[in-house]
Amino acid sequence: MNPHAPSSPITRRTMLQRCAGGFGFLAFQALLAKEQARAAVANPLAPKQPHFPARAKRIVFLFMKGGPSHVDTFDPKPLLQRDDGKPYPFEQPRIQFAATGKLLKSPWSFKRYGQSGLPVSELFPNVAQCVDDLCILRSVHGTNPAHGGASLKLHTGSDTQVRPSMGSWLMYGLGSENENLPGFITICPTLAHGGVNNWGSAFLPAYCQGTPIGNASIPSDQALVKNIRNDSIGAALQRRQLDFLAEANRDLLNLSGPDQAMEGRINSFELAFRMQSAMPEAQDVSHESEATKSLYGMDHPVTANFGRQCLMARRFLERGVRFVQVTHSDGEVQWDQHSSLHKGHTKNAAEVDKPIAGFLRDLKQRGLLDDTLVLWGGEFGRTPTAQGKDGRDHNPHGFTMWMAGGGVKGGMAHGATDDYGYFAQEDKMHIHDVHATILHLMGLNHEQLTYKYAGRDFRLTDVEGNVVKALFA
Amino acid sequence: MEFFEKEVRPVLVNRCYQCHSVAKKTKGGLALDSRESTLKGGDSGPALVAGDPEQSKLIEAVRYKSHDLQMPPKGELPAGEVETLEKWVKMGAPDPRANAVAAAKGGRVINIEEGRRFWSFTPIARLEPPAVPDRASKIKTPIDAFIQAKLKEKNLSSAPPVDKRTLIRRATFDLIGLPPTPKEVDAFLADNSPEAFDKVIERLLASPQYGERWGRHWLDVARYADSNGMDENIAYGNAWRYRDYVVRAFNNDKPFDQFVIEQMAGDLLPSSEEAITATGFLSLGARVLAEPDMRKLQMDIIDEQIDTTGKAFLGMKLGCARCHDHKFDPIKTDDYYALAAIFHSTRSLSDEKMGAIKFWNEHSLATPEQVAEKKKYDELVKARHAEVTAFTTKARNDLKAELQNHAAEYLAAAAMFSPEAAPADVERLATAWQLRPQYLLACRRYLDRVPENPFFAAWREFADEDGSGVREHYEPLVAEALKSKKGAVYGALNDPKGFLAVPDAPADALDAATLAKIAAMNDAVMEFENKGPELPSIMSVADDKIVKTLPIHLRGSYLTLGKPVERGFPEVMRTSFAREIFPAKQSGRLELARWIASSGNPLTARVLVNRVWRWHFGQGIVASTDNFGLLGSRPSHPELLDWLAGQFIESGWSIKDLHRLIMKSAVYQESSTANYSMADGADPRAVDPENRLCWRANIQRLEAEEIRDAMLSVSGWLDLTMGGKTIPLHNREFVFNHTSKDHTTYESARRALYLPIIRNNLYNMLEQFDYPDPTMPTGSRNSTVIAPQALIMMNSPVVMECGARLAARLSVLANDEQRVREIYALLYNRAPSEREKDRVLAAVRDFSRSEKPESAWSLMCQTLLAANEFIYLR
Repeated sequence: MNPHAPSSPITRRTMLQRCAGGFGFLAFQALLAKEQARAAVANPLAPKQPHFPARAKRIVFLFMKGGPSHVDTFDPKPLLQRDDGKPYPFEQPRIQFAATGKLLKSPWSFKRYGQSGLPVSELFPNVAQCVDDLCILRSVHGTNPAHGGASLKLHTGSDTQVRPSMGSWLMYGLGSENENLPGFITICPTLAHGGVNNWGSAFLPAYCQGTPIGNASIPSDQALVKNIRNDSIGAALQRRQLDFLAEANRDLLNLSGPDQAMEGRINSFELAFRMQSAMPEAQDVSHESEATKSLYGMDHPVTANFGRQCLMARRFLERGVRFVQVTHSDGEVQWDQHSSLHKGHTKNAAEVDKPIAGFLRDLKQRGLLDDTLVLWGGEFGRTPTAQGKDGRDHNPHGFTMWMAGGGVKGGMAHGATDDYGYFAQEDKMHIHDVHATILHLMGLNHEQLTYKYAGRDFRLTDVEGNVVKALFA
Repeated sequence: MEFFEKEVRPVLVNRCYQCHSVAKKTKGGLALDSRESTLKGGDSGPALVAGDPEQSKLIEAVRYKSHDLQMPPKGELPAGEVETLEKWVKMGAPDPRANAVAAAKGGRVINIEEGRRFWSFTPIARLEPPAVPDRASKIKTPIDAFIQAKLKEKNLSSAPPVDKRTLIRRATFDLIGLPPTPKEVDAFLADNSPEAFDKVIERLLASPQYGERWGRHWLDVARYADSNGMDENIAYGNAWRYRDYVVRAFNNDKPFDQFVIEQMAGDLLPSSEEAITATGFLSLGARVLAEPDMRKLQMDIIDEQIDTTGKAFLGMKLGCARCHDHKFDPIKTDDYYALAAIFHSTRSLSDEKMGAIKFWNEHSLATPEQVAEKKKYDELVKARHAEVTAFTTKARNDLKAELQNHAAEYLAAAAMFSPEAAPADVERLATAWQLRPQYLLACRRYLDRVPENPFFAAWREFADEDGSGVREHYEPLVAEALKSKKGAVYGALNDPKGFLAVPDAPADALDAATLAKIAAMNDAVMEFENKGPELPSIMSVADDKIVKTLPIHLRGSYLTLGKPVERGFPEVMRTSFAREIFPAKQSGRLELARWIASSGNPLTARVLVNRVWRWHFGQGIVASTDNFGLLGSRPSHPELLDWLAGQFIESGWSIKDLHRLIMKSAVYQESSTANYSMADGADPRAVDPENRLCWRANIQRLEAEEIRDAMLSVSGWLDLTMGGKTIPLHNREFVFNHTSKDHTTYESARRALYLPIIRNNLYNMLEQFDYPDPTMPTGSRNSTVIAPQALIMMNSPVVMECGARLAARLSVLANDEQRVREIYALLYNRAPSEREKDRVLAAVRDFSRSEKPESAWSLMCQTLLAANEFIYLR
């Protein structure tokens, strides 16, 4: 395939593979205007028709890095409380990350909330108030008991090979609704445990890749997209610089004859210039009301950082960004309490509880929750058995995630783990099933959303995945 | 029988048939809808043993006790149904179901004979170039005869020869990845001899930068990286030895067959450090090093090695056959496990240090003296670290004491402003009181937030305009508490979250001067540590315990083993009817390597000459450079491909000879602009818009490394030092632990080849300009146009620095006109037109009327570096 073909017939694949205009593909539209007959080839980022009517138009993933404990948050286990200190009565997994001892009861109590009366632990008093909007998945399971593998599995469906992230698949399947912003944004992601591969597009076209804003080591009020700012010259001077550049580039084009790539590159500078103002505008929360900031906990040092991340997420969602990920991670592996479970989980929950509840309320009051799917969870849960005195090990065999909004039922719990919370048991939902269900909610058939690469069709769900329709409102 | 009909059949129908019946699906090869197929079972053996529930897989599955075999997959059966099935098996599994239904659907049956007839498996054809007498003027080498013959078929003409300036620019970037200097261009223009271009080719092939450019191509294929990536990202601190080996191999024109053998089995050749280094090829793939399941990890590593070997040398996706026969190519699961047996006998992981994160095999080059010296040095490093820690602790303690001694003043000053006060005001107040502004503000905020402690009640009570009331109240209390070291006041002073709390992280706690001192001490220790001896070792593989056979792993899992297969090569590629016999005491890798590198294997030479063609022209004769299988592309010029492959082998597998052959041909020297007129025949733009027939040169964008190196080169910044360890990390050091802090630096003036290649977190400039995914072999890079590339050219420090350095380089020239001429000569290898010159000068004047007049030329230089003419080769 040759991106430099002079006014040649352009195949969709050529366009996608070679000339993706990053965020905003307007680069090629002028050229394509001539090709009315090939209108279908237009901007691959333009919103695309889903396979069937979508229940959700956009999605936000609140990623709790490290693995929050389900038996201490959303999956109460009375027998675990009763049998504290006794051995787990069933067979433990053949492969374990670390050796664990006897059953360890949850140090937190659960209370029932809302009309649904679903139980939530005292770690999440604010989120608990929203429980009638939550669709709690108590039987999620994965395969990999280590952070990296599990995180890659959760984000890409594969823990052995580099595959496109779920956000990239959505970009590929649905395009974006804002031509000046990336359609897939990840706010303060962690660079460990799969790092970029968790938001990479792998073999999908480059425009599908996630755009990171800062990373987990950077406070959210200082997080920026790479190279989004010129610290040396102002916008007016840069405008003049780009005008000169465009003229020089057009001269060359006149000399060499029409060339898609070189013409596309002229426009890519214009896009970049527009993005330089669109991005800071979307990130700037200073004009939000005090009430809104307070709703997200931005007025308190404990919740300010994650609150800002959530508020930014809402602003991106409002502007048509398709997939926003918000990562809760710090200089350690945030939710990874192999020890100090009580202290660690208390601190972590305190940082996110109010912002998440505020985020849900804000989406709801703005009418966004109806068609925005919220997904919450970590790469795995934790064992009901103790590691040391006050810790829990990784547990991919059964854990909890929850969804809200975007066409799922509120106030319900789906599936169950065994009596102690070790293994998913009833209505088990593998990570692949979570993926298949998310795609379905977004209007995509996970078996039809394929991309041919190196001779074969790839899917987010590989050869697996069942859509769990029981969750649908 | 009645029991079966009433009890058993409903369970099977309702719970199992969905996935295990001939009518629907036969997952795992298992059909439970006839007596025969139930007894026969699936891929992992019979489903049941009549009369013995304990030996029956069916029962094991529904009991849900084993985590590896649980059916139905979505959830356990009710206990009653499990009992029914147990009872039934115990009864001897009476089953009236006839075998009316056919046996389970079989998959595709691979026909090897038919497979051998596929073009890429057929022997290389020995043929003569076609005669195209009426196009003799366009034929400089036999390559041109093949090209012109195809064009003639379509009645197409090729573009005229390119001008000499463009040609030397094209050839120089092509062979060494750098722009020609104005002097080199002038010399070429002045040389009117017929051998002028041949001389340029020879000069470039002899340049050490040639190996850096072409070695880099091979490193794409070898999915080279300096870190593991995947789940845990730790430094491959010795991968650079393999990188430098590749550069040397290209510079020395190491015969390609030998190059292949060394990379696959250098450790089995007569002992040489060079050859052992080459096996880094098998060693430096991306691995899930924290995989706790050792047997799975071993098979995953083997899979990565087979996949890479297949794609890199044979253009075959062999990895597909891990779980099932290849769906498209004639590669069977047997073939896969025959190769896997060879790799299974190969040691890839180290025997020791098998913690959570596994270690790869290395070949140590260290002498006992070096080991002892290292140990001694490590002690010194440890001592220096302890010094820094002690210093930091002391600084914290001093700070704490100071805050406590002035506690009353902090409280008093805090009474004099609101928590929302502007930082400057707080700072002024703090200076007046000789307090630390950071702690004063924190104290004020604390008082606003928490003061339920009765200790602070007085603070509100006594708060006054000048703070004197507060001070008078607290001074004696604090003095007393610090003396007695007990009581509520002492508790408040020492509360780790209290009004004088010192944050845990030194960066948050200490003042800038102290932090700078600590940073300097840390740097010094780091430098000291880095200067220390690192034990030399090579990333490599070695032979391990030899297995002569390996069982097929059904669906890729070692938990479901099938029949054993012997070591061997893929049947469809075998050149002899006899199966090879492998040495009992060696893995067989050497035999595999020799088989791959033999002239009888048509794939190896075809795949390589096609890649070289791709790297010269921007597109391969076979467009899918790494897939010569059924789903890959077909060659546009099959005869040319075979002729080149034949020439390549005859030349002793010399890649430099291949360059000569290609670059001296007319097709390499075509213009990229077609001056088409009706008289020339058909319009090639309509007939062959993708230029598969090479009727003109492709306009090619420089690759990521070329863009960076060219910018550094023209701005006089590039450092051409070759080789050596360049990743600023120790072997096996975390690139990213949990902190997400990037400690890797890309601030180096050396060629981009020597920048760290960190899987999972590639250097932004490389990543955005289509550097390939370093976890899989890539023979053909993409060339996308995306907005982040524009942001790099507009805003990144490295591009702006290049602009500034280029401007500085020009500042010695006498006048502006000379400057413009010099820039055009350096950047574009040509003179500017009058119009261009005027436009540049006008823009520089315009830029000078800005906030930074002194940097107008820097800005202009940056702009010209960002222009298409700089990064597209025509």
